[in-house]
Amino acid sequence: MTRVLTLLAALVVLAMPAAAQTGPLRIEITEGVIEPLPFANPDFVAENAAAAELARAISRVVAEDLTGTGLFREIPSNAFISQITSFNSPVQFADWRAINAQALISGAVSVGGDGSIAVKFRLYDVFAGQELGDGLQFNGTQAGWRRMAHKVADAVYSRITGEGGYFDSRVVYVAETGPKDDRRKRLAIMDYDGANVQYLTDSNAIVLAPRFSPTGDRILFTSYESGFPRIYVMDVASVGRRALPTQEGTMSFAPRFAPDGNTVVYSLTTGGNTDIYRMDINSGATTRLTSTPSIETAPSFSPDGSRIVFESDRSGTQQLYIMSANGGEPQRISFGQGRYGTPVWSPRGDLIAFTKQSKGRFHIGVMRTDGSEERLLTASFLDEGPTWSPNGRVIMFTRETQGESGAASLYSVDISGRNLKQIRTEGGASDPAWSPLQR
Amino acid sequence: MALLSRGIILASVLALAACTNPDRFDSAGGAGGAGGIGGIGAPGSASDPRSPLYFQQTIGDRVLFPVDQSSITPQYQAVLDGQAQWLMTNTDYVAIIEGHADEQGTREYNLALGARRANAVQEYLISRGVASSRLRVISYGKERPIELCSDEACYSQNRRAVTVISAGLSG
Amino acid sequence: MRIGYYISGAGHIALILFVLFGGMFNSTPEPFEVTEVSVISGAEFEAMMAAVQPPEATTDVAVPPPPALQEAPPPAESQPDPTPPQPVQPQVTEAPPPDPVPQSAEALPPQPAEVSDAAPVLAPPPQEQVVLAPDNSSRPVPRPAERVAPEPVAAPEPDTRVADTVTEEVVPDEAAETPREEAEAGAPEEATTQIVTEATEPPSAAPTTSVRPRTRPARPEPVAEAPREQPTPQPAPQQPAVQQPSTSDAVNDALRQALEGAAPATPTPAGQSGPPMTSGERDALRVAVQQCWNVGSLSSEALRTTVVVAVSMSEDGRPMNETLRMLSYDGGSEAAARQAFESARRAIIRCGASGFNLPRDKYAQWREIEMTFNPENMRIR
Repeated sequence: MTRVLTLLAALVVLAMPAAAQTGPLRIEITEGVIEPLPFANPDFVAENAAAAELARAISRVVAEDLTGTGLFREIPSNAFISQITSFNSPVQFADWRAINAQALISGAVSVGGDGSIAVKFRLYDVFAGQELGDGLQFNGTQAGWRRMAHKVADAVYSRITGEGGYFDSRVVYVAETGPKDDRRKRLAIMDYDGANVQYLTDSNAIVLAPRFSPTGDRILFTSYESGFPRIYVMDVASVGRRALPTQEGTMSFAPRFAPDGNTVVYSLTTGGNTDIYRMDINSGATTRLTSTPSIETAPSFSPDGSRIVFESDRSGTQQLYIMSANGGEPQRISFGQGRYGTPVWSPRGDLIAFTKQSKGRFHIGVMRTDGSEERLLTASFLDEGPTWSPNGRVIMFTRETQGESGAASLYSVDISGRNLKQIRTEGGASDPAWSPLQR
Repeated sequence: MALLSRGIILASVLALAACTNPDRFDSAGGAGGAGGIGGIGAPGSASDPRSPLYFQQTIGDRVLFPVDQSSITPQYQAVLDGQAQWLMTNTDYVAIIEGHADEQGTREYNLALGARRANAVQEYLISRGVASSRLRVISYGKERPIELCSDEACYSQNRRAVTVISAGLSG
Repeated sequence: MRIGYYISGAGHIALILFVLFGGMFNSTPEPFEVTEVSVISGAEFEAMMAAVQPPEATTDVAVPPPPALQEAPPPAESQPDPTPPQPVQPQVTEAPPPDPVPQSAEALPPQPAEVSDAAPVLAPPPQEQVVLAPDNSSRPVPRPAERVAPEPVAAPEPDTRVADTVTEEVVPDEAAETPREEAEAGAPEEATTQIVTEATEPPSAAPTTSVRPRTRPARPEPVAEAPREQPTPQPAPQQPAVQQPSTSDAVNDALRQALEGAAPATPTPAGQSGPPMTSGERDALRVAVQQCWNVGSLSSEALRTTVVVAVSMSEDGRPMNETLRMLSYDGGSEAAARQAFESARRAIIRCGASGFNLPRDKYAQWREIEMTFNPENMRIR
């Protein structure tokens, strides 16, 4: 009996291809290419004279957002065969196909009498000859034109890739000036692409590692302005701030919000020993989460708020651990050679980004939350402090150059390890923290 | 009381701030030099055993540590013995112990490591009889290097705990 | 040196003032004191506020609400769209429909029960084992390139234009409307076979510990190859040749019926189907589509989604674009499947535009094609 079945099974296997020929031809495609998708982004149509300059500027920002991801490549306008002169005139797909534009963005800008602007766009799949999604229009103020461009780019990105965008977001960081032994640091905030920089503090005191609240309205950071490291919370809109309560004779640092926006995890050092605590930001009530003689720091919540990943040198070197949000016995997740620090849980929940030190070099890497599938994305003299884009696709971090003239700057890299690039900032910059998408 | 503590802090902050760039005044590096600024209005010179300058330059105000370590090596136990003795003699002074790390580490970890180093010095001084109320610790992690190169020669100088003396506790 | 002195002096004065008047170390600090940052200059502050406010509509009444996401049926949509004469291309979808349902909806009937292809298709073994640069590897270290493709492509000659598809000297049609740069014989863009991250670039710095445990189910590689080779009419009919077709048909029909609960949709009488496609012919088609299947812009979820796409072919080897449809998907959400389908659709249309190289005499064999796009190998390279 078994033999008959085996024979039958063998015959089934043998028969498959033959059988396929009685129906449609079946093939499986398992290999493809990974390359930037070519798109055409003709200047947006200015629907009135006042919008002319704005229309051009907005289309440039849209194009820069998209090409900046490394996933898209803009086709230069001098290759265009047909132009878009009106938002509603039909698209000559053949013309765009001929220059291999796989996506086409058409847009229009108008300025209202009150100075408000309206930006609308459509996205086409050129080869399918179809519109991808419906046309969208954004209304806003002229001052917010960059945000509206980012909104358009986010929508395009999301319709093509299937995941949320990250262009309409901001980054808070530490702006640095001066030589290494007299470095001046101040908090600054900017758009994700480096535009619209504003300074949030002066440079009289060292400030470190700002972190956004889950809604992006507040920032936690560490400052030495009292003479000792302490945690402050700042309201982004008013720039007003207050120190979180602390005990005399202790240091507190490495704060991070829980997803609920009311709880903060941080490190507190007393008697030379650093452990992780959590605090209700409204009542000031604290709970100690770890109590070992080793260094426990850099805590980061899982997106559901149930767990905390952190670093500890309890094993002898810095390694990554995960514990319940209420403390308890942690599980070690990093086992590779070298030292692991500054873990940050991705907003999607599936990956943890970290800094790794190995053989005298620093890397930014990602691993799954069980520690498997570790991938190193960068390598340099000193890379550290990853932060996730709101969609979990890109990581920004600090890179510092070596030597007496060493300086810090911000870099970003796709989680595939591609598209490594520097974020342009005036002067040095470190400790970036990416905001959620703005609403 | 409030005025008093202000005075203490003023003095200590002055001394501390000066410590951030001693190299500018002493290209030889290493111990000493910071007193040049810290000594605004402070009496005494390095030869006056009651002066902070003497503490800094003759006794030695700093302890260096091996990579990732925070225990006091025998070589520096002698330095700390001298520091303790000086503090016991000159009871008008208080001290802030700054812990530092080299740049080869992540920011948060280095803050914690600097705290360990400062604490190790504090505990040693207390064990030698200095009242704990006269000592405070702070960590700067890798934020305030004194040597700038990216070699072990510089790193070894940056992995330090510095005892910064300040006057003011006169009554 | 002197500058340092000045900076230092200024700093100290500032510190003295700060300590004397700053109220630092008040014995009882107000724990919840809120302070404004007044140290920033007035002008700076104004500028900051001006810049901060517009987007933060929540705090300022004067500022209109942030760009409202609104479905904007632009005015002209109500007007009949004067579709100009546009040859060949079906313009069904061009006029933006007032219908909010995405056009591809008809292509996405949820067919969870459809397993027709899942079982029989055995993935061929990966053409190469992709591992992130183990440091004892003697393989040539791939250089970083913007493009990742199954076959490495050397950087083109300096003055060769990079074309998007490998074009022959003679472009069959479209040549007239193709701009110069595309009409020239193009070399394929430089490509590498795996993503080369900075961490893997210098061999010495290759991550020693990132032996990525690709927890992929063990794949019966030898077996996988077998069925592909077998159907080819190679002159090696060791089994009784007569028996095979009938038995296999019977078994397969039974299997199919068991799986689908329905008869095959397009039964072609065996007599008319002509000789079967050789594996070489099938591979040629597979390779042709692969060249245009760009998964670079897909989300990670879409990269976990396998889609089965059906297309009808015209006799000249071109896909009939309007027949392209997604039969089923597996592994991701419907939204992810849509993006995966769109990339598959682009691949078929783009690389099929000048006709796939298919044997005319076997048209009956490839009149209908079902392609399974499985991105598993493409996830991380």
